Amino acid sequence: MSWNRRDFLKNTSAATLAAMAAGIPLTNLLSSCIGKNNTSTADTVILLWMAGGMAHTDTFDPKKYTPFTKGMQANSVLSTFKSVPTILDGINFSEGLESIGKVMDKGTLIRSYKAGDMGHILHSRHQYHWHTCYKPPQSVSAPHLGSWIAKELGPLNPVIPAFIDIGQRFTLGEGEELKAFHTAGFLGNEFGPFLIPDPSAGLESVQPPVGMSSSRFEKRNKLYYDLISKSPLGEYGSDYQKESLKRSMEQAYILLKSPEAKAFDLSQEPKESYDIYNTGKFGLGCLMARRLAEQGARFISVTTEYEPFKGWDTHDNGYTRLIDMKKQIDGPIAQLIKDLEKSGRLDRTLVILASEFSRDMMVEGRPDAKVQEQVEQPDIIQDIKNYGMHRHFTEGGSMLMFGGGIKKGSVYGKTADERPCKTIENPIVIDQVHQTIYHALGISPDTNYLVEKRPFYTTPDGLGKPVLDLFA
Amino acid sequence: MLLQYLAFWLWDFLGHLHPLAVHFPVALLLFAAILELFTLKNFNSKLRHGIDALIIAGSLAAIISAVLGWLLYKNGDYSGNVLTLHQWIGFTTAALGVLTLISLYQIRKKDKFKQIIVYRGLLFFTAIGVSVAGHFGANLTHGGDFLTSTLPWSKDHKETKPTQKFDFVAFKAKAADTTKLDKKQEVELSTEVRAILAHNCYKCHGAEKVKGDLRLDGKHVAFKGGENGPVIIPGKPEESELYKRISLPADHEDIMPSKGGKLSQKDIDIVRFWIAKGAPWPEDGSKATVFRVAKLEPRNPVLPATSNNLTNPVDLWTNDYFKKNKISWPALVDDKIYLRRIYLDIIGLLPTPADQDAFSKDTRPNKRALWVKKLLSLDNDYALHWLSFWNDALRNDYSGTGYITGGRFNITDWLFKSLKANKPYDQFVKELINPTEQSKGFVEGIKWRGVVNSSQRTEMQAAQNVSQVFLGLNLKCASCHNSFISDLKLEDAYAFANIFADTTLEINRCDKPTGKFVDARMLWKELGAIDAKASVAEKRKQLAENLVRPEDGRLYRTIVNRVWAQLMGRGLVEPVDIMDNEPWSQDLLDWMAFNFVAKKADLKELIYQIATSNTYQLPSIGFKEVAMVNNPNYKFKGMVRKRMSAEQFTDVVSSVITPVFADSNLRYNPFAEAIKGKLQAKPTFIRASLVANNGFLTALGRPNRETVATSRESQANLLQALELTNGVMFNNVLKTGAERWKANYPNTDVLIKEIYLKTLGREPVENEFKVAKQALGKSPDVDAIQDLFWAIVLLPEFQIIY
Repeated sequence: MSWNRRDFLKNTSAATLAAMAAGIPLTNLLSSCIGKNNTSTADTVILLWMAGGMAHTDTFDPKKYTPFTKGMQANSVLSTFKSVPTILDGINFSEGLESIGKVMDKGTLIRSYKAGDMGHILHSRHQYHWHTCYKPPQSVSAPHLGSWIAKELGPLNPVIPAFIDIGQRFTLGEGEELKAFHTAGFLGNEFGPFLIPDPSAGLESVQPPVGMSSSRFEKRNKLYYDLISKSPLGEYGSDYQKESLKRSMEQAYILLKSPEAKAFDLSQEPKESYDIYNTGKFGLGCLMARRLAEQGARFISVTTEYEPFKGWDTHDNGYTRLIDMKKQIDGPIAQLIKDLEKSGRLDRTLVILASEFSRDMMVEGRPDAKVQEQVEQPDIIQDIKNYGMHRHFTEGGSMLMFGGGIKKGSVYGKTADERPCKTIENPIVIDQVHQTIYHALGISPDTNYLVEKRPFYTTPDGLGKPVLDLFA
Repeated sequence: MLLQYLAFWLWDFLGHLHPLAVHFPVALLLFAAILELFTLKNFNSKLRHGIDALIIAGSLAAIISAVLGWLLYKNGDYSGNVLTLHQWIGFTTAALGVLTLISLYQIRKKDKFKQIIVYRGLLFFTAIGVSVAGHFGANLTHGGDFLTSTLPWSKDHKETKPTQKFDFVAFKAKAADTTKLDKKQEVELSTEVRAILAHNCYKCHGAEKVKGDLRLDGKHVAFKGGENGPVIIPGKPEESELYKRISLPADHEDIMPSKGGKLSQKDIDIVRFWIAKGAPWPEDGSKATVFRVAKLEPRNPVLPATSNNLTNPVDLWTNDYFKKNKISWPALVDDKIYLRRIYLDIIGLLPTPADQDAFSKDTRPNKRALWVKKLLSLDNDYALHWLSFWNDALRNDYSGTGYITGGRFNITDWLFKSLKANKPYDQFVKELINPTEQSKGFVEGIKWRGVVNSSQRTEMQAAQNVSQVFLGLNLKCASCHNSFISDLKLEDAYAFANIFADTTLEINRCDKPTGKFVDARMLWKELGAIDAKASVAEKRKQLAENLVRPEDGRLYRTIVNRVWAQLMGRGLVEPVDIMDNEPWSQDLLDWMAFNFVAKKADLKELIYQIATSNTYQLPSIGFKEVAMVNNPNYKFKGMVRKRMSAEQFTDVVSSVITPVFADSNLRYNPFAEAIKGKLQAKPTFIRASLVANNGFLTALGRPNRETVATSRESQANLLQALELTNGVMFNNVLKTGAERWKANYPNTDVLIKEIYLKTLGREPVENEFKVAKQALGKSPDVDAIQDLFWAIVLLPEFQIIY
């Protein structure tokens, strides 16, 4: 791998090379000057990841509501929740998302996301596709969206890692599949995610080791530099390995000592505000994202956490479980938007809510393709555990976008009101989503690196186009 | 933003003055610096007033130039590496100029004569700055090879010699009547056009500069066009922007090339003719000139005569290379460095102080060779070290995608035993390609559930991975469409993949079925036939037998180059996966590959050959930038400095400080089986190559092995430094280690000496000892010892292999 990396470094990575020569603070300065597109509308991206497949008809695109009764026809159910109005005229959300409904005047609702078609449904494959824009497997290790951004733009504040991933543990089922795309791939570890599996313990990642006092940490660091300076190593001169080691150690030290690191410490948040966010791990992740955005983070991903058959991955009890999922996300997301707006940051912060695909009670995958291994769904529902969107649906889906130059109070795309509730207007696919994000950040749509001599683009073959209609 | 509202032409105009204006600061400041040299003895010499004036004028001119340069950048189409360098050096120089001026003012007006040295330093730096900035600026304007291309030994010089055999008049006469060219003609014509584009257009429409968003250095980019759409309309030269722009009058403002003069009428006619004939750009048109293709057959060059008492053939070739490149042999490295190298390179561990002692006391004249032999005979340690290299290459891991659905197979048991037994390489390759149940994981690939891109099905994965790992050949492009980077065609890739397929695969072009099929065959027909009708097992067997034939120079050059790269920090050919690239010594590569086959493809023998050469014992070379290692103009002068791998680092910490992994981390236990009825001795710690990947190892560079990886990054980065600075796992290891050491070494002085000996292979120098002693105090506590360990294992001296 690294030879390929060297190869493309040689060819393209001006920012990295120059920054190597110049040290960290310049990284930021340089890379922001290099982008060819100077008309960016955002500096920071926050991705709110609804892991496991969020049903659009039970969240942001409600259809006809049929309450649960024993012996009901499954095929008659399109939504298992009532519709409630949002602040936008004629636009309803599913019950339980009222708070987000109230901030929709600050963003755009997208109702036409179409997930990739990969035959069998496998969450990890669709998640890989969503985050890298490439369908697995790939012969080149594809970088995560956040890594591309970290590579192209570098950190916004040099002491805050450019790509922060909050809320996902990798020790659960399909952890290996998750690791496969939580990576900078061929771009190199430098641009990989800074992982904070648990936001309430986030501070531990950015402070001296647990149990080490600040004075001891200082002393240890001084000892390190003293020993370097006393080492007779000088005779070997300098090389990039040595320089990069010294520089990285210094960066780590600066980060761990920096006032900005307090952004990771949720206990510093006033109780009133903390309580609004504290709906669980996801809510606290939103709070951390906000605090990091305030300190100059570049790309933050907050996930409801993927674990097979948990969270949004409702293979049963869809209705009951969604009540809980909505409680987790509704308050914190609305508060995040409001807080960002209040501090004036929303204008330059693009917040995106998305999921790998949607769900439906009857249709698995695409309406016109029979997929094997469907989730079991009786035609006549006797038990409430069968009442919910349990099958995986790729032909429609909802996303939200706020801030960062996106239109306010707007709705894009449409799905059918009858089953299959698929996209019927302005379909949007993952390549467009990525390019829209890159467009907002001012990253050229044909950004690419030569890997083993062939170009590897941000979106396959560099063909993705941003959806300019989404921008104000 | 402001710029957009003001008269932009003015900014444009000013910007364009930059290339003119820069000559002033360059000349003035350089001249000032030269004159300054004559005043070194007497600051207030007669030249003083002149120098003052030059510096004032030069500094002002530098500032103006920098501003103009910035305007040019804002409005121009410059981008890339060189621009960034130029820009920052330019700005820095302007700033230095001002500082020089200020410093001069201090001396002249305020009589602060102590500042003279500061002032002179600043002036000389400024002079260097303007020169360097000027150099890069000139590269931007004239191209990086403007100066050197005229030199008789330059590659470009040769290429631009009028050696063209292309007779356009004759060609045109022959092709005039036909509406469509035949294949051969297409190749000939397009090759010619590409040569014209390469020599005249790439500089501004290539990878370095992309003016008008247009690139002409590749088929798809060229036809894609620029910011105003396509520039080549096949069949319609008059409507093609490319032709229109090159055929404008020389003084027209839109003429292309905008720099370097109008194309010759002949070249313009060729381009016109080419577009008129439909602008053919056949992939195999490249065959003629564009790609370098390495020879397939083995070659046994005659060894150069012995000189300088050199005996190892590797050294004879190096000597030959050194002579040709006017490089002299430096003194070889000392015992300490040599021992550290061979330990890390052969078994992945450090020598203990006892080993070092024994080695330094060893008086046998050939002791270095004897110790290499000894290390190679430690078959467990050897296998455990090289296991990581092969796991990367064969993308074999204990965990990862695919296992969850039974779509992937682990081959560790087979691999470890093969390495331990030092299986001949031909046998090794055969067993991977025509596998047993234990070794099938490599060619079976990773099978994901669902529909995958046709270029990623397991048969195609096998074709790609076999080509990459064993042949240093990139089949990835060609498995989707005809390659743009080599002569490989889509059909070749499918023919090769069909060896691994039950039924002939339908050729898909960019994932679209074409309805075409091709029979299984080798990538090189010279290597033998494949019976397309045979079973997969039979076809694999034929492939395996064909590939390992001695006639397959490619297979053996590839492995020799990989082993060389592992030991020497850089391959003879780089990147190691592109064996069509030119080696720095074709003779050495060919000889080693030939000799490797003659010595029964014995990997240990190969390592022995390299590690005992004087070439291996040359002092290491450090590069300032990682890109320099891979530079095509690389000159070999000695081992390129390496950094310990994740596994080397972890294993050394395990052996010196305290074991990093517990038994429960073990994912493969090579010592579980009894050998000849006797239980094997349990090793004192668990090697990192035997545990599943984790956050710590990932941060230190162990790849996730979803795809083939044939070398590692050796640069450090922030995430890695954080893992080492406050990572829980590493912190706990150091703490446990400190407790152990505190109990074992109650005496501080002994403890310090021991840790230096065991990690750095030497005693601390006086100053180091003082610092360490001060940190530990009289009776050190666990914390202090832990912190000393931490500081030492993070020293570059510890982590870098010199």
